[in-house]
Amino acid sequence: MIELKNISHSYGKNAVLHDFNLKLQANKLICLLGSSGSGKTTILRLIAGLETPQKGEITIDDNCLSKSGELLVEAHRRNIGFIFQDLALWPHFSVYKNIAFGLQQRKEQNIKESVLGMLDFFGLQKHADKFPHQLSGGQKQLVAISRSLVLNPKILLMDEPLANIDVKLKRKILDYIKSLKQKFNLSIVYVTHDHREAFAIADEVLVLNEGKIEDTGTVEQIKNSDNKFVKYFLEY
Amino acid sequence: MGRKLTNHPLYFAVFISFIILVVSPLVYVLLTIFFEKSPAGNFSLLISIDTLFLLFKSISIASAVAVLSTVFGTVLGFILYKTKIAFDGFFKVALLIPLFLSPYILAVAWKDFFVLLFGSSSFISSHTGLIIVLTTIYTPLSMLITGSALANINSQMEESGLVITNLRNMIFKIILPLIKPALLTSFVLVFIFSISEFSVASLFGLRVFTTEIFTQFSAFYNHSLAILQSALLIAICVLLLFSERKYISDAPFLSIDSRGTNKKLYPLKKHKLLVLAYLFLWFFTTVVFPFLVLFIQSFKGGTDKFFQAVELLLPTFSNSIALALLGAVLIVLVGFVSAFHSLNQNQKSNSFDNLLLLIFAIPSTVFGISLIKFYNNPGLDFIYSGFGIVLIAWVGKFSFIASKIIGNAIRQIPKSMDEAAQIEGVPFFTRQIKILVPLILPSLFAAFIIGFIFSLGELSTTIMVYPPGSELLPIKVFTIMANAPQSLTSSMSLIVFSLTLVLISGFFIMVKPLAKKYSSSND
Repeated sequence: MIELKNISHSYGKNAVLHDFNLKLQANKLICLLGSSGSGKTTILRLIAGLETPQKGEITIDDNCLSKSGELLVEAHRRNIGFIFQDLALWPHFSVYKNIAFGLQQRKEQNIKESVLGMLDFFGLQKHADKFPHQLSGGQKQLVAISRSLVLNPKILLMDEPLANIDVKLKRKILDYIKSLKQKFNLSIVYVTHDHREAFAIADEVLVLNEGKIEDTGTVEQIKNSDNKFVKYFLEY
Repeated sequence: MGRKLTNHPLYFAVFISFIILVVSPLVYVLLTIFFEKSPAGNFSLLISIDTLFLLFKSISIASAVAVLSTVFGTVLGFILYKTKIAFDGFFKVALLIPLFLSPYILAVAWKDFFVLLFGSSSFISSHTGLIIVLTTIYTPLSMLITGSALANINSQMEESGLVITNLRNMIFKIILPLIKPALLTSFVLVFIFSISEFSVASLFGLRVFTTEIFTQFSAFYNHSLAILQSALLIAICVLLLFSERKYISDAPFLSIDSRGTNKKLYPLKKHKLLVLAYLFLWFFTTVVFPFLVLFIQSFKGGTDKFFQAVELLLPTFSNSIALALLGAVLIVLVGFVSAFHSLNQNQKSNSFDNLLLLIFAIPSTVFGISLIKFYNNPGLDFIYSGFGIVLIAWVGKFSFIASKIIGNAIRQIPKSMDEAAQIEGVPFFTRQIKILVPLILPSLFAAFIIGFIFSLGELSTTIMVYPPGSELLPIKVFTIMANAPQSLTSSMSLIVFSLTLVLISGFFIMVKPLAKKYSSSND
């Protein structure tokens, strides 16, 4: 279980989160839904360890990762995968190298088998030697997901990964993401501003507004929420 | 990008070395002003009518050059970076050539041109001539600065302007205000370069403030007055630079790549030929004519003088090239560390960047005097009497440019590239070497080449600090040309000109596929 306790975090004078609390259950696909500036990406970055909360505490399965400005466990020791909005595929590495790079740095065994297995699972075998700019948008998404999953993370954090994808492809990839949870025994935290995306895949949805949780629940509960902001947000 | 380099020993090593080797001499020299035996006498000389008049003259010349270069440079920048024009790739490189040549080489060419055409060089060897020559030299710098800014404007801003007004109004009301930082940067940098320039005025026999400092220091050995005059020049340059510091820091000048920008190009329609003619005219006037004139003058009386020049300069080649290569490596190292540090710091604590800017702004002659005064003592003789002092001078002068080129490149790499590797457990230095460096390789290479060409041709500081008995290319050319016949001077200038052309062509050939590879892989 991921837990954020009394988190306060700001960028300069801009306070993004103030005394924020959150509990995310394991082995679920949880969507953080909110508009720009609601703090959803910040929450993801804090969980990943890319930023350290100025106040408060972050724990995963009762292990304290960050506490009041102190990074106790570095990003790469948290067993977390992160899919960035721009995917952050390394343009000078081939598809194979993009996936293998993390394994090589960790000096893992059987790197080739692991990478080929991942390429096979996502149907990317014939693209192994290609570079990111030679791939379609959907293929890039799959490479980014493969790159994270090959390291066997327990938690996968996804920061608006489908922001630049057309509707048809989006549906296909959303189905893929949904299936990952079972196949890889993952907890997934998925950030989006699009409620249709959230409703298509989420086990649980948290609606955020200006660093506060407005409402939380299953897709059906959120759809029928009485919260004024949630109602307003879902209209658009 | 992840862990700050400021926390790393490499940063401290480079930063502390820079402070001790480059900044300390300047601080030392400025402090000596207050410990002189009779500073009052020098102060009265400093505020004499003659000195103030010289200063006023230099400021006027530098202002005129700065305004003209910025105007011409902006027009050229607009044509090359904002219009659909034939041969734009060629002109973007070819028009930069005067910037990479030592100013005195072009001055020799212009002088020869007037002698060849009118039988006398009296017009060009005047203050007007000085302004013309310096304008042709520094216009490419303005073109580069304003061109980079123009290329970085988001096309949607222009298009939203075009919806409500015509092109002319859009240029004056939207584009020019948007590139204001670049225009100011261009003015300030050209002003500083012009007021610091000493070789052209010296060759034309004109008395300006920098030649006066050089004369006081080297001919009259009045070091204290030279230092006092230097302090005045430092104050002017630094005040000007730091008053516009914010703009200069933000201006996207010297970007090798404008990755990810959505650029709008305007068709020239019926003006196409006229604009192309203007580009060719500028190219012929600033590059082809000087080269041809030097060529004609070199071979006017046969090939003897040319071969004599080759014989004279040949021994300097290996020393000069090896030293310039080493200088370029150090410049890139300091530039990289500074750029990386700057991007991880807020404006207020950006100490390294400020120091590079400070040294960059200080006139070359003044910087040379500081280095001599500081290193000319028994304990530091190993630096003073060797090439170490020359390398320190070059690193001080050119690291700011390298820092800006590399900084602009790093800024264009999404932070997520590094963070993705960080999450995968890739250590800090591996991330730098395997992720960051390959992505900014074209810019690192460009910084290296620019550092190399600038170091190879640097005269103003090198002439003051070079170890006696050593042979460096620009020093040899400049010292021989003072008493040499015109054809020998032209031949030597032609050799340096040709060498620079070969280097620039080589750079272009090497960097083009590199830039293409990395820009396409970042689409």
